[in-house]
Amino acid sequence: MTDLQISGVKKTYDGKPVLHGIDATIPDGHFVVIVGPSGCGKSTLLRMIAGLEDISAGTIAIGGTVMNDIEPADRGCAMVFQNYALYPHMTVRQNIAYPLRIAKLPKAEQDRRVLEAAKILNLTDYLDRRPAQLSGGQRQRVAMGRAIVREPDVFLFDEPLSNLDALLRVQMRIEIKRLHKRLNATSIFVTHDQVEAMTLADTLIVMNGGRVEQIGPPSDVYRKPASVFVAGFMGAPAMNLLPATVGQDGDVMLDLSGKHVAVAQSALPQGKRVIVGIRPENVVLSAKSGAGLPATVDLVEELGGSRVAYCNFANCEVAVVLPAGEDDIEGSTVWINLPTAALHLYDQLTGLRIETPAAPKLSSLTRDAKVVS
Amino acid sequence: MTTDAIATPVFSKPVALRRISDRSGLNSAAGHLLMVLLSIFCLFPVYWMLVSSFRPANTMFETSLWPTQPSLDNYTRAIDAIPIARMLINTLVFSAVSTVLQLLTGILAAFAFARWKFPGDRLIYTGVALTWLVPFQVVMIPNYLLVAHMGLLDSVLALILPNIAAALAIMLLAQAMRGFPREVIEAARMDGANNWRILWEVLVPNLRGTIASLAILIFISTWNEYFWPLLLSRTAENSVIQIGIQMFMTAEGNQWGPLMAASTLASLPVLVIYVVLQRQVVQSFMKSGIR
Repeated sequence: MTDLQISGVKKTYDGKPVLHGIDATIPDGHFVVIVGPSGCGKSTLLRMIAGLEDISAGTIAIGGTVMNDIEPADRGCAMVFQNYALYPHMTVRQNIAYPLRIAKLPKAEQDRRVLEAAKILNLTDYLDRRPAQLSGGQRQRVAMGRAIVREPDVFLFDEPLSNLDALLRVQMRIEIKRLHKRLNATSIFVTHDQVEAMTLADTLIVMNGGRVEQIGPPSDVYRKPASVFVAGFMGAPAMNLLPATVGQDGDVMLDLSGKHVAVAQSALPQGKRVIVGIRPENVVLSAKSGAGLPATVDLVEELGGSRVAYCNFANCEVAVVLPAGEDDIEGSTVWINLPTAALHLYDQLTGLRIETPAAPKLSSLTRDAKVVS
Repeated sequence: MTTDAIATPVFSKPVALRRISDRSGLNSAAGHLLMVLLSIFCLFPVYWMLVSSFRPANTMFETSLWPTQPSLDNYTRAIDAIPIARMLINTLVFSAVSTVLQLLTGILAAFAFARWKFPGDRLIYTGVALTWLVPFQVVMIPNYLLVAHMGLLDSVLALILPNIAAALAIMLLAQAMRGFPREVIEAARMDGANNWRILWEVLVPNLRGTIASLAILIFISTWNEYFWPLLLSRTAENSVIQIGIQMFMTAEGNQWGPLMAASTLASLPVLVIYVVLQRQVVQSFMKSGIR
């Protein structure tokens, strides 16, 4: 068993805290993606697992053994770096074989493992080339080959696809997923790209400002973001987040330039300030007059398979995902409907999710929107 | 199609473009001319030394560009007057061993400064850097007394000892190592390489350009060393070629012929190194300059 246990891990640089106590358990064979914006501490956490950074407080255990004071090479981890980190003076064969050479494996075993990795990664034709003679994707595959041959307990990926172009990134993403299915080794992948995170992860760890915001399967994180940050970070286009206040009888009222529109009901105390969230694909947009809140379409982004309309109502911007179509709706007036079942509520003070009572009063609130002046 | 139409180029250069092109051509020619003049200015003394070494004593001061009665007399006289072969070997040993040792100590010290954090590391590095600013004349007497106490006067070993380590080598290599991608070193650590392996198997092979340019710098400066060997040498057999050349400059007058012959022989190894490694030398200097 090579499960990974991160307990109360903190990191400080010159007394300045960077990680504020991370707790996570990664089961054996899981593909975990740590996602978050630049500077959130995700790479630092990965480097601490690898042993490349000291742990200021807490413990990291792999397979039940605390690794805090163990050398990087002895932790059973292999790492793939963002900019490949290949040895420029060595051929592909020498690069892949280097950890085996250091481990003093017999030459025949070295050759066998190198060839096997090269076959898996389609590198057999490039074994005698140097890194400078390879494309970005090939270099990344060499870096992965160097990790594979060590047969590690844990694979660590530090934003390995961010230097590749969009097409290659998708290809490599699929290759990494296939590789994981084939090897079934515990893998930790750091990225700031939410598409990578959603597509690769068995479990997502969303980080922000040195703290874990949410841990869970990608579908859970997407469907039930635990905080305003997660709600805004995961998903493209981002979730619409609108300020609201709880009125009489627990009605959640959107604050729209002096007007208040009830969109849901809750058991929250009157006057509590909340944030209402809704995914762009859940917003219903209608051209029929009166079918919701009136809004103007400011801009339409064409994505081929779909379109994103950015609508403005009462100085609030709402993104709406629309099916592909030819009709030009830019500048036109539309009616926006926010289905209650798709709404998310967050505390404006703490930013944390508020679980609303299961039965909202209004089935399609904005259709019968109660406008209170 | 008429003949005139064929004769007229369809895509002729616009007049303004042609003027710019002509002007850049003129600038390029002027630049080349300047470089040729400067090259002549630099190479002429070397050429004059070579030509003079073949002139007999009675035609030494003639102004023709090549010897009218070329002879090898000056070489014979120089070889008879001083043990040139022995001196050249001494100089070669002195230069080569100093170069290797300075590189070795430089690489080791630079790695420590570039990759390790230890108490007082900055202070020690500053101290090393400051020794570069201390002129040779300041340390000359202490060094002399030291080798004298060790009983090493009039030996090549005494020449080498103060040249075992140099601040320039440490600083240049430390800078190059600091500029080396951290991820590659971390990858080596993850692969199980210890510091020794990281230094010799990862860093050094990738710093060949810097090391080569530094080696050439050290070798040439040691080859041209005059004052330190002058202080230590007692016999011609244990001396270096620069001292040998000076032996032809006496109070009775300078023996220009043998002096030029000995100078030519002294210049040959350095010239050979440069000619053989010309491309590598230029590339390594350019690379280390860019870094």
